[in-house]
Amino acid sequence: MTTTLEHTAVAEESQGGGLARYQNAGTAVAGGVLFAFLFWLIARKTMDPTGEAFNDQVTTILGCGWIIGFWFGIGAFNGPMRWLLGRDHSRADDLYYAGHNQGRARYWKYTTDHKVVGVQYIIVTMGLLGVGGLLAMAIRTELIMPGNHFVNQQVYNAFISLHGMIMILALIVAIAGPWANFVMPIMIGARDMAFPRLNALSLWTLVSAASLLVAVAAVGGLTMGWVVLAPITDQNGVGMDLFALTIVVFAVSSTVGGVNVVCTILTMRTKGMTLERVPIFVWGAITTSALALYAFPFFFLVEVLQLLDRNVATSFFVSGGGGTGWLQANLFWLMGHPEVYVILTPAVAACFEIAAVMARKPVFSYRTAVAAMVGLSGLSILVWAHHMFTSGWAPTLGGPFMVTTEIISIPTGLFFLVLIGTLWRGHIWMKLPTIWMFGFIANFIIGGITGIYLSDIPIDNQLHGTMFVTAHFHYIFVGSVLFGAVAALAFWFPKVTGRFLDEFLGRISFWLVFIGVQVTFLAMFASGLKGMPRRVSSYSVIFDHTNLITTIGAYIIMSGMLVLLGAIIKSWGHGEPSGPNPWHANSLEWMVPTPPPLENFDVMPVITEDPYNFREEMVRS
Amino acid sequence: MTDSDNDKTSLKSFFWLWGILTIVGVVLGLYGPSHLMPKSMSPNMHLTILTMVIFTVAAAPVAAGVYAATIYVLRNWTHKGDEPPPPAKPVRENGIIVATWVSISVLLTLFLLIWGLGALAEDNASASSNPLIVNVIAQQWVWTFQYPGTHVESNSLYLPEGREVEFHVSSDDVTHGFWIVQMGVQVDANPGVITTIHTTPNVLGTFDVRCEQFCGLNHAFMDALGDVVTPQQFSTWLAAQPQRT
Repeated sequence: MTTTLEHTAVAEESQGGGLARYQNAGTAVAGGVLFAFLFWLIARKTMDPTGEAFNDQVTTILGCGWIIGFWFGIGAFNGPMRWLLGRDHSRADDLYYAGHNQGRARYWKYTTDHKVVGVQYIIVTMGLLGVGGLLAMAIRTELIMPGNHFVNQQVYNAFISLHGMIMILALIVAIAGPWANFVMPIMIGARDMAFPRLNALSLWTLVSAASLLVAVAAVGGLTMGWVVLAPITDQNGVGMDLFALTIVVFAVSSTVGGVNVVCTILTMRTKGMTLERVPIFVWGAITTSALALYAFPFFFLVEVLQLLDRNVATSFFVSGGGGTGWLQANLFWLMGHPEVYVILTPAVAACFEIAAVMARKPVFSYRTAVAAMVGLSGLSILVWAHHMFTSGWAPTLGGPFMVTTEIISIPTGLFFLVLIGTLWRGHIWMKLPTIWMFGFIANFIIGGITGIYLSDIPIDNQLHGTMFVTAHFHYIFVGSVLFGAVAALAFWFPKVTGRFLDEFLGRISFWLVFIGVQVTFLAMFASGLKGMPRRVSSYSVIFDHTNLITTIGAYIIMSGMLVLLGAIIKSWGHGEPSGPNPWHANSLEWMVPTPPPLENFDVMPVITEDPYNFREEMVRS
Repeated sequence: MTDSDNDKTSLKSFFWLWGILTIVGVVLGLYGPSHLMPKSMSPNMHLTILTMVIFTVAAAPVAAGVYAATIYVLRNWTHKGDEPPPPAKPVRENGIIVATWVSISVLLTLFLLIWGLGALAEDNASASSNPLIVNVIAQQWVWTFQYPGTHVESNSLYLPEGREVEFHVSSDDVTHGFWIVQMGVQVDANPGVITTIHTTPNVLGTFDVRCEQFCGLNHAFMDALGDVVTPQQFSTWLAAQPQRT
């Protein structure tokens, strides 16, 4: 193609867009509220006029109203409806949807440009991390000493449930959301994702789902933990219905996003960009997306069955009606364990990428890196029942699941080989991304090894359900994934904004969060070893010292995260200008101007080698 | 900064660091679990603590190796400043290193598996053909213990020393987690199902029963006291209890 979309459509630009010209996040919320109210009104008048204003059925229908109205309001149905009416998008329309010449307004719209979607994911992630972080601080404040002092048990239980769910959502999208959208298509030499409109759909379905979680709090909350397994869910109020709906919609979002990433990487690579020449982060993006495509349908299924049980009196998970809670537990963990690697893999891949560029050296044993990520994803679908070792379900399967779980330590160990092999004898440029990447290595070894203890059944029979487990997966999620996410943010921030993330504030933040993580979670390991259960609002006085230390550590982490937030806000508008290729890297995202133009490339690049041949002539500024 | 292209960079300090950190890990492993974990009152708990020690000692050189390598890398090959350092000598593959690394991880994993499966078999092995049966009934947020053959029902768990006990665990409402903290045994209490675990108390004294599965409002307070007594004391206690009608 010699002329791009952009050149041919300029003249028609003023006519493009149609209805979308009037749609943005504001109309989405208005549509959601309007539909929710209408659905609620109709359901209430027709189904049970004398019953409670918010019973299960009415609330579920209200939630559906919010989702459908939100999608109408944001413009998700415009394209299909125009196609149906025979008035498919013109080039001018496509250009309008891509956000051409719309300034900042395009970040609040159903914009198809992958770079806009990437930035939207950054904002959504930061919002979710902010809310989840405040809940974490509330939890740790309550646990500063034994007894219930600040909130009662009901509110506390709502805090831990929402903290868990919001943080899981935040971490699933924290790296793959921003960077598999913003940089991945440029890395492989594509003008956009394979399905740009699905990309917008994936982002805005996530927003519609995440905002439902706020409504969960408004209708009495979710007080049964984020895992929400039957039969205790029966005791939760109607917040449970909205929660299940949130997950159903979230599963749609991640499936749509996952299909898009996989198809983009498989079909949109530019000439010469073989699968062995793509930057290693691309492998992280495709394995995590493929694994999400396997895992999240189980989440979808489990919450649909849950909604049926609650709303139309089926009994899939009700033991009195011939069902069993163990069915739900199995389905849930069939999702739950692969999901951990959906979260982890992009962090690992981003660290590989950063290690190679900053050490001015190729990724050590690229094929080992690929094999480790693919192998880990494959094994992760065979280990789910290790979450059920102490459930009493199928005790004879304990041995086999212990074997599959412990084998996972082999691909995990290869991550360290690749990272250290890449850094060994490198010329390591100590900038902000490098520092956070080193934090990842230090924390991931602790998170990884403590996981081996828990895979061993005699140990799990003691430590399951204790703070030891909580500390273990927080070393993975906070110590490793969050560090990888900040490293990735610091690394690609200049490509998004044209400015460096503030080095000084970023380093202060690193040290606060790094020290905070050690203080918080090492003390939490001690609480767990001493025998403190998870998800408790109060505890025996024998756990008071370790809990006090954990709470102090949590405040240190919070102060570090606030410094990071300050650094992001400061640098986004007024940071030091970076130029298009601040790290002197070779991969394509650094070869395009900053900010990258719509459709990224004027002339499609042709690739003859992988991006890790750092040469002397690259080092000119 | 050290001249990073100097291939003669001594690895001696790396091995020193590795050795010292390994010793730190081994010491932590030998003292940490047994110091922090509750005192053992059953063979299961003894096995749990022993496995914690063994795994920590086995993991110590691995973690120490990663830390030592990371610290060594940070000491020797980092560059500061705003200008990027020149390219480093590329090393794309080293089959021997990869094969060695994989072999060592496979061997370590095999060790973990063999030890773990052995410990699991020992954990599951029944010591006696005539265990004491105790029915454990969970409800929000109370534990009830029944001794079949008698009509005794109690909210505290009395057990005789030295005799295997088989717990038949169920729930009247939601899922709870039956956990004897000092004996290293756990199993969920489910409505409509009976799950079993067994252990042999081997130390006299009090112990804790806690709920380890989130069960709603007062989950944090769902504890029960337990006491391991001599068989004679146990019979006396059992006989002295009011009979449930």
